[in-house]
Parts: sequence; structure tokens; C-alpha cells
Amino acid sequence: MTNVIDYVPGDSLLHRLNPVTKLALAAAIILATFLGDTYVLLIALLVLTFILGIYAKSTAGLVSLVKLMVPLSLIMLVLQTAFIRTGAPIFAWITTDGLITGTKAALRLLGVALPLILMLTITQLGDLANACVEVLHVPYRYAFTFTTALRFVPVFSQEMNAIMEAQTARGVEYDTKNPLKKIQLMLPLCVPLLVSSVGKTDATALAAEQRGFYLRTRASSYKRYPIKGMDIAILIASITLIVLGFLF
Amino acid sequence: MSSSNTIIKLDDVSFAYGHEAQNALDHVSLTIEKGEFVGVIGPSGAGKSTLAAVMSGAIPHHYTGQLFGTTLVDDRDTCEITLTDISRVVGSVLQDIDAQMVAPIVEDEMLFGLENFGIPHDQIEERISQTLTTVGISDLRHREIATLSGGQKQKVAIAAIIAMAPNVLVLDEPTAALDPASSTLVFDTLRQINREHGITVVVIEQKVALLSKYCSRVLVMADGKLAFDGEPHQVFAHASELRQMGVDSPRVARIANSLAEVGLLPSDQAPCLNVSEAHQLISSLLADATSKDAPADVPETSPHIPAVPRGVNQEPVVELTDVTFAYPHGGASVSNLNMCVYPGELVGIIGQNGAGKTTLTKLLNGLLHPASGTVRMAGMNTADVPTSAIAAKCATLFQNPDRQLCRDTVLDEVAFGLELHGVGTDEARQRARVAAERFGLPLDESPFSLSRGQRQMVALASVVVLDPQVVLLDEPTSGLDYRECMTVMETVSEMAERGCAVIMVCHDMEVVSDFAQRLVVMADGRILERGDANRIFDDDALMRAAYVEPPQVVALSKELARDVSPRFAGISQVSDLVDLVKEMLKHD
Repeated sequence: MTNVIDYVPGDSLLHRLNPVTKLALAAAIILATFLGDTYVLLIALLVLTFILGIYAKSTAGLVSLVKLMVPLSLIMLVLQTAFIRTGAPIFAWITTDGLITGTKAALRLLGVALPLILMLTITQLGDLANACVEVLHVPYRYAFTFTTALRFVPVFSQEMNAIMEAQTARGVEYDTKNPLKKIQLMLPLCVPLLVSSVGKTDATALAAEQRGFYLRTRASSYKRYPIKGMDIAILIASITLIVLGFLF
Repeated sequence: MSSSNTIIKLDDVSFAYGHEAQNALDHVSLTIEKGEFVGVIGPSGAGKSTLAAVMSGAIPHHYTGQLFGTTLVDDRDTCEITLTDISRVVGSVLQDIDAQMVAPIVEDEMLFGLENFGIPHDQIEERISQTLTTVGISDLRHREIATLSGGQKQKVAIAAIIAMAPNVLVLDEPTAALDPASSTLVFDTLRQINREHGITVVVIEQKVALLSKYCSRVLVMADGKLAFDGEPHQVFAHASELRQMGVDSPRVARIANSLAEVGLLPSDQAPCLNVSEAHQLISSLLADATSKDAPADVPETSPHIPAVPRGVNQEPVVELTDVTFAYPHGGASVSNLNMCVYPGELVGIIGQNGAGKTTLTKLLNGLLHPASGTVRMAGMNTADVPTSAIAAKCATLFQNPDRQLCRDTVLDEVAFGLELHGVGTDEARQRARVAAERFGLPLDESPFSLSRGQRQMVALASVVVLDPQVVLLDEPTSGLDYRECMTVMETVSEMAERGCAVIMVCHDMEVVSDFAQRLVVMADGRILERGDANRIFDDDALMRAAYVEPPQVVALSKELARDVSPRFAGISQVSDLVDLVKEMLKHD
């Protein structure tokens, strides 16, 4: 499987943290990335994310995401330089202010996406949902909707691939090199995909109800998710990160 | 009042979905006793799934429509208690198990129901480990569900329901996506929970051989009504009526019924349901005839198969030379494939799930390109031309028609392939009209509003209309009832007679033995053997190596050739076997 958010099993300290703590840590890194305004902090946060990734042995997902995000960041950079024209010109339309804002925007884009993905790759979705219900008192309905949505992403992408293969075998030119033409050809396929996904969602709802979904309460979960000493330490570190974001 | 042994009781139940005038279920009355193993069979659209939904409480609680009559589950009316309360008694396994799964890990999947129903936490561990042992999947406990095979997933789905300790288990076509070996394993599991844990099993199933082997009672549905209800021997004694409804019977039952029709067996004789029963029956019938054995004739071949194989003197239309392919992320890789297919041939590809059969079809239609070796399709090297160009010569009929359909009306859908290959709109629509009318399809309706079987017919019509040189079929008969299955197979046989090469991947060995002239046997990504269908099915060692169970008639004639008379050797059709028995008895 080649999904970016596939769970990477492991036994590191990060894996054993309470899922809520992991969520808080990721949120803190993201918040600090938004608040911070110096290169040092932005780069340090990115480095921190990668160190955590290496420690949890879950760099594969991060690397494939970086490959996806770098072109986006570059587009962001070029756009910013085009819009912000104050400061001393460097060459062509690019000015110093534009370049600074642009590079920071590009770094932020990376800094926001990566921690969340890292957190998802080292947490079982079921654990995340159960912990949110137990610790954060999130109603189970929302937690279930969230995990089901994430679970359906690979299911639908497989379905889409199968549909494209079937259409290619009929002679539709999905193997065209022209991306615009490809998108034009893909649009009609939304109908079969929608039809099958509505059916699937309905079946899921029925199956869940037949397995006592409406009886579930906050105390139902067999696994418990207590906040331990380590979690508190990480939570304090998370707050420190946010404060650092304010200061720098 | 029902007796204490009744667990489900339907009293004159009718149901119509939404505001439809036609009843999906029409005045059905039946009772299911505790501890029964009930199989439900019927053509598509007969109301089997609706019956399952009524028993599991999904009707009236989930699907809307008009319901009449009463359904009692454990003596309580399903209209008066909640779906959750019904599901404490009746656990149901859906047809689409991907939709049923709630968790990424097997253990969490098991926990979901137990947690919800408030099983005390100190009992949960024991429940899980016991259930996993019962179903035989203790080793899968910590696996990710996405990495499991189809058969393993089906067992996890069953285990997750069994863990909640229901009295009844209702399953909707649990083996539709499985190969014969995994299907048997699933039914072994069901038999075990039925016998050892006393759980009543109600299973909708199209595979008659499984039903007759495992079920204590068979219900036949047709047009929303209960057509037959009884012990398998009683039900399959009505093979000709069943056939008219679109329901298959085990081949050995057909032999017994044919013998009874020509007066060689008493007409009240119960039909045999498996090879050993048939063996006993025929050997006792022939006990006297064998002593004065007539010289062996050459056995007649199947009426479907032309006497002289076609096309052997022509150039092959498909040619694979040393083809090797591996998926980058794992999956069914294939290596050193060599095969030729000639115009007018019908070639079957058989083997277990994961043997590389689907990979082979994708290599043929150009969806995959070989890592080494060459695939030549209708004179083109698939590596050099775009897939869309190959599609003009080689049409594929997929297992799931829904992935093929994308237009608003049936007529547009059937014409679509022609238009893609450059045929003018008017001509394309004219040809599409002829093809669609041949299968009796409504031209102006949306393909998605049709039944599963009719959607497959739309897909079939869009293959036929292309008049291709090669047709690829990937599990063309799964999810179809017997009548639809025969329509598909007779259509492609006709195409073969007109010179089209047909290559089909198929799990149903009875269909394969009826229609395929040559077979390619695959296992672990390699071709084990190629050759004449009868010779291949006759090779026990090969069948075992490929995990394929030979068709009943072949197995039976082989046993009879060994124990009764060598004249039975090589017979693969019901009618030939019956004729031979008749002839041998006449000699006396």
C-alpha cells in the first residue's frame, strides 16, 4: 500500500503516547509555525518534525509528502514574489520583501502539513477516535464519522483506479499525455463513483447500527487512554513551543 | 403462538421498496427452527436479499417501503422492537464486507460490537480469543484488515458478528468474491459454529454444490415468492423446474434426474448430490451390465465444443513469449508466461486467487506492460501502442460491470465503445440498437437503474457490438444467476464460432468444462500446464497443485472408469454420461 497516512507500526515513545497528546504536539508545532516569523524558528520546527519522524521510523510517509508539497511550496513562493513588490529589486520582478515573505510562506506550508501527517502515521485511527471520546469528551458520532471518512479514502481511490482501468480497456484515452484532456475524460466517471459510494455509506450505517452503534457511550471502549507522566511532559513542551512561536 | 423451538417466523410477509408497485417479497410465510443450517437460492431479483433484510430487521428499520404481515424474531414482532434489539438475536453479515468493517485492525473490529453491547470488560478478552479460535483465525488478531485476502476478510467479518453471541447468523452471498477453495473454508467455518455452538445459520448462496453439501434445508426464491422449501435432496429433485426459474442444480443431481426421466430409476428416487452418492447409484445400476462389457467407443464430446478444434492452422492472434511482470508494491506477479491463442478458440484460465490470472488479463489488454518478454495482441506489440489502440481489437468484460458503465442511457453506453474507436455516431447508434435489443435491454433507461444482472448484459452488449478479434472475460459469471450466466457464455461461444478468440478467467469449473476447449492452469504466477480441457481435468496431481477441484461429472466418470467400466473415461457432460449408462443397460 502506498498511502501517505498508512499506520507505521512501532514501539517508540512517540507510539506509546496518548493519542490526544500526539494530537496536541502536532497542533502545537502547527500553531508555532503560524505564529513564528523568523527563519530560525520555522526551520527549527521543520527539523524537529523530521527528527520525530526519524525517531519513530516513519520517514517514508514524510518523504513522499514532501515530494508532493515542494512543488506547491514553489508555486506559493512565485505567487508571493509576484504580489509583494516592495523592497529592493533583486532580478526581474522579484524584490527582497517578496522573496522573504515568499520563502516564509513556503516553509509554513510544509510546516503545517508535515506534523499532522506524522501524527496520523504513528497513531491507529481507532485509538485516536477512542482517546478523543474518552479524554476530550468528543461525541462518538463525530469520532466515528471522522475515522470512517479517513478509512474510505484508500477504498475510494482503489475504486477510482479500477474504474479508470476498466474505461482504459474500453479505449478511453486515459493514457493521454495531456493533463487537461485527462481531467475532461475523468469527470463523467464521478457518476459511477458517487453511485458506489452512496451505496457503501448506506451499508456502513446499517452495519454499524446492527452492531449496537447507538448503545455506545464514553465508557464503552475496552482499551483505556490515561494521561500519564510522559504525556504531561510532552503537553508542557507543546505549550513551550507555542510560547516560542509568540516570541520569535 | 409459535413453538419454543422457532427462532424466526414470517407470517404472510410482503414488502415493496419505496413506492414501487411490485412486491420484492410476495406473501412469504416460513419458520426457521433453532439449530438449522438454511441455504437460500434463487435467480437475481427473486427477493433473496430482501428476505435476509426482513430476518435481520433492516426491514422495517433501515429500508423504507410498504411492509405487510408479521415477522417474529425470538417471539417478538420486529416492528415493535429496535434494530439494535433485533441484532442481539440475529447477527448479519452484509454482502459488501468492506462497508461492514469499522476498524483498520482485526482486534478492533472484534471489539466494536462487544464494547457497544456493553459486555463486561473482564469477559471481553475471553470472548475475543474464543471466537477467533472458533473461526480459525487466531493468527490474524493483530493484522491490518487491508492486508488480508478475500477469504480471510470474510472470516473476520463472521468472527466480529459471532463474538456478539447471536442466536442466528444471516449471511448475504459470503462467497461471491472467493475462489472455490476459500469458499469451502468459509462454509466449513459456518458448519462448525452451527454444529458446535448451536448457532442457526441462514445463508444466501448461488453455488449449488456448497448448498447441497452443507445445508440441512434449502429455500428457493422466485419472483418474491417461496418456490421450494425442503431438504436438499427433495429440492434438487425438481432440477428441470429449477432450471426454468434460473437456478442451477448440482451436475450429479441432473444425471440422476435424467436417468429417472428415461425410466432407469424409479421416479420417486431422491437425486444424488455429490460424486460418491452418484458413484454408488450408477455402479449399483450397472452391477450386472459390467460382466459383458462391450468394446470401448470413443466418448462423444460436448455439444458446445466443435469436433475439430478451430484455427490451429492459422496464425495465433495472441502470443505471449517469456512474459514476466512484478508489481512495485507486491501483489500477484507472473513469470515466464508462454502461450498462444488462435482465432475461434475458447481458452479458460484457471487457478487459485492470487495465482496471477488477473495480472495475465491486464498484460493482454495492455493495462500492464511486461517487464521482460513480449505480448503480441492482434498483430500489435502491447508495449509499443497505447492501451486505447489495443482496445479496438481486444474487448474486455470485467467482473464488476459498474466500473465499465458511464453514460446516461443504455443506447449511449453500448454505442460509446464504437464512437471511441472512430465509428460515426449514426452508424454506432444503429449497431448499438441491434446489439442492445438482442439482449432485450431498455434502450432509453439509465444503466444504473437496472438490476445487477442486466447491467452485466449492458456491458456484454457493448463488448459484442465492437466485433473484436479477441474477447477477455474476467470472472464473467460471478454475481449472475444461472440463466444470465448461460446468456453470457452462449454469446461468447457464438462469437468464438465466428472467429473471435475468447480468453476467460473463471472459478466455476462446471462453466469452464462446458465451454472451454483448452485450459491454461496457473499457480504462483506461473503456467503449470496448458492443453485440452478434458486431459487437464483428468490430471489429479495437476488439479491438486493448482488447488482446483475438477468438475463433478469429470470426477464421477473418472471414478466409474476405474471401478465400473473403462468406457466412462473422458466423459465430461451430463448427457454423454446418461447416454452411456442407457446404452450399457440396453446391452443386457
